[in-house]
Amino acid sequence: MAFESLKGEIIGSVTLFDLIVFGIFVLVTVVIAKIVAIYMKKSLIDRVQQGEMEFLIKVIQGAIIVIGVYLALPSFDINLADMLVVGGTIGLVVAFASQRIVSNFGSGLFLIMERPIKPGDSINIGTVSGTVEEIRILSTIIKTHEGVYVRIPNEKVFTSDITNYVTNVARRFEYTIGIGYQSDAEKAIRIIKRLLEAHPFVLRHPAPSVFVDTLGDSSVDMRVFIWAPSRVWWSVRTEMLWAIKKALEDEEIEIPFPQRMVTFSSGTQKAVPGESWQEKE
Amino acid sequence: MFGVYPIPFRIDTEGISICVETEGALSTYRRISPDGTLKKKLGYRDGRVIIHPVEPVNLPKEVTGMLEFHFVPVNIRPDSLVTLYLKFPVEIGVFVGADENYSLLDVFSLAKAKYSLYGTPEKGVITRHVECEPFDYVPPSRLLEEGVLTLSIKNSGRDWVEVSRAVFEGSAMRLFYGSTVAMTGEMEIFSHQVAETRILDVLPENGMKQALRAYPTKKSLIPEKPSFLMEYGVGD
Repeated sequence: MAFESLKGEIIGSVTLFDLIVFGIFVLVTVVIAKIVAIYMKKSLIDRVQQGEMEFLIKVIQGAIIVIGVYLALPSFDINLADMLVVGGTIGLVVAFASQRIVSNFGSGLFLIMERPIKPGDSINIGTVSGTVEEIRILSTIIKTHEGVYVRIPNEKVFTSDITNYVTNVARRFEYTIGIGYQSDAEKAIRIIKRLLEAHPFVLRHPAPSVFVDTLGDSSVDMRVFIWAPSRVWWSVRTEMLWAIKKALEDEEIEIPFPQRMVTFSSGTQKAVPGESWQEKE
Repeated sequence: MFGVYPIPFRIDTEGISICVETEGALSTYRRISPDGTLKKKLGYRDGRVIIHPVEPVNLPKEVTGMLEFHFVPVNIRPDSLVTLYLKFPVEIGVFVGADENYSLLDVFSLAKAKYSLYGTPEKGVITRHVECEPFDYVPPSRLLEEGVLTLSIKNSGRDWVEVSRAVFEGSAMRLFYGSTVAMTGEMEIFSHQVAETRILDVLPENGMKQALRAYPTKKSLIPEKPSFLMEYGVGD
C-alpha cells in the first residue's frame, strides 16, 4: 500500500518514487564530491598554492555534481529536450521570485571574474575589516582581525567600496617622530637611516626618506616614509617604530613630552600662592 | 660543508655548527650560525641530511621569488654580446629525505638580506635585492656566503643601452656547487625599457653538482615560466 502511494504521479508523469531516487542520487553525488574534495585537500595542501588548490577542488566538485544530476535525470523518465524548455521557463519564474539570490549569484560571478579580492587578502568592505576566507557563489566570508566570522552577501560586496590592502605588492607607511630642540636632528636622521638600511623588508627602491618636517611647539618633528612588501608591512611598521625609539634613546636623543616653556622677565615678582595681584598693589 | 651526511653527524666550520644527535628512537637537529640558532626533533634516528646552497629568496621569510641584481651601469653596443660575472648571496638549505623525496628542514645564511621593488607598486614585483660589482672574470668568492652568476647580456635593440639591473624568476633558478656556488643566466635587451631574462639549466663548470631547490615551497598548477620579462627598464 505504502509502495503504491510512492508510485502515484505528483507532477506530470513524475512519481514520488522518482523524486526520492533523484534525491538519493544527488545526495550520494554531493557526498562523493565532498570525499573527493577532502582527499584532494589532503594530498595537495603541501604541494600546490592554496588559491589554485581551492579553485581546482571547486571545479572538480562542480563537475561531479553536474554529472550526478545528469545521471539521475533518467529516473524521471522525461525527455531532456522538454526538460530544457521547462527548465528555462522555471528558471525565469525562479529568477523573478528570488531576485536577491540571483543578484547575489551574479555579483559572485563578477567577483570571481574581476577578482578585486582573493582568499587571504587583507581588506575593508564598508565597516568590515579583515581577511577574506572564502568567496562563495552567494556570499563572501570574512574573518575580522578579532577572529570573528562575517558573511557578506555578494551583492553588497560588489556594490560597496572595497579597500584591498595587499593587491599592490608594496605599500608605504609613515611615522612622525619628535626630538628635543637641543638634540642634533642630523644625527637622529643618520641613526634612523642606518636602522632602515639594516632592516631586510624596508625596501631599497622606492628608498625610505627621513627629513625634518615641522618645528613643533614641543619638538622638532621628523617624518619617516617607509615602503615595505604588503605581505609584511604591519610587522615592519611595529618593529621599526620601537627600534627607532630605542636607538634614539641609546644615543641620548630626547623624545620630549608636550611641554611649554614660561619665561619671566627680570622685573617680575615671583607669584605667591593665595595672593592676588590686586593685594600686591 | 655542502654534501650528504649520514645521521648522526656534526660539522663546525666558519662560525656555523650543525649536528644531528640520536637519542633513543628520535634524533635532534641543532644549528648555530651568526644569524641565529635552531633546534628541531626528528622522528627517526637513521637516514641522511643533505646540505646544499639554495636560491637566495627564502630569508628572513618568503615574500618573493624574484632575484634582482643592481650593479654599476654597463654600456652595451647594439647587436653585441657581453658576459658579466655577478656575485650573489647564498642561502644554505638543510634537507632530510631519501631518493627523490626531500623535505626542507632549515635555511640560514651568512649574508644579510635586503628587498626591493622592481616596477610600480601596482604591477611591479618585490625582489631580493643584490647590490654588486660587475666583473669581466670569475671573481673569487666565499663558498658559504657568495655565489657567482655568469650573465650573458645580448643587446638586440638598435640603441646603445646602459644596463644596471637584471631581474630573474626564482622558480626557474638552478644552482650548482663545487669549489664555488654558481649559476648561469642570460639577458636579451630589446630596448632601454624591455629585456627578457632567464636562468639556464647548464653546468657552469665541469665537476659541479646541481643543488636541491628550496623555492618554490609549493608548486603552481600553472607551468613555471622559464623567463622573466623586465618591462620597467634595465637601468636606474
